[in-house]
Amino acid sequence: MRPVAVSVDPPDVSRDFASKAGLTFTILSDPDSAVIRRYDLLHPKGGPDDHDISRPAEFLIDSNRVVKWENFTEDIRIRAKADAMLAIARETTR
Amino acid sequence: MAPDMTADSRRRNSIAWLGFALAWIAALLNIVFFVNAAAPVQRLAPWVIFAVAGLALIALVIALKRAFGESAVYRGKVLTVVLAVIALLPLFIATYGNAHARDVPASTGAPHVGQAVPEFALADTSGKMTSLADLLAPPPNGGAAPKSVLLVFYRGYW
Repeated sequence: MRPVAVSVDPPDVSRDFASKAGLTFTILSDPDSAVIRRYDLLHPKGGPDDHDISRPAEFLIDSNRVVKWENFTEDIRIRAKADAMLAIARETTR
Repeated sequence: MAPDMTADSRRRNSIAWLGFALAWIAALLNIVFFVNAAAPVQRLAPWVIFAVAGLALIALVIALKRAFGESAVYRGKVLTVVLAVIALLPLFIATYGNAHARDVPASTGAPHVGQAVPEFALADTSGKMTSLADLLAPPPNGGAAPKSVLLVFYRGYW
């Protein structure tokens, strides 16, 4: 399983974040939220200064781009847990 | 022991302190989201926060009614007002903040289990354009292609 993170943060912000947090997985930038819109995940004015951002959402997709597992939180304070997602990935794509 | 007859013999407006304490407890319950508490605890917490905030509000309203409507029986007008005003901050966190955190778009048009997700290409942290096909392909430095990709959309670090 390959984790990939997507947000509206520009690459330099994500780079600082990744180096501070010691993250090595791929972090992608969608500053115009074009992909976020295409996935219908836009949270209009959800960020600081009424910035459009992505709502939290997680998808486990197989090699054919088909969703095997999804998670849409109803509360921005409640996120999918990393260990739970790892277990699901192991189970779903053996 | 002789009863204290030196001061005001009216009753203490204790329910003001109860409301004040409950308001802070409601706001501080948000800690379960920061300490990575178990998922069921986190799912229950917003409702507990709303409930405790409601009780705090009821207690503070009763306290204000007692202090001003029944001032012959209860003392502590100033203290009750001060406690109620300070409690507005935690009450705001536990009501408006709590509701606001749950104000997430429905995303009805998002991809769901069994559907293929749209292809895309976005810049990575070094500015290199990376497509979903690239992510699913074997890594350039060798090795097998990943069996799956976990796409995590997040609000951003800002």
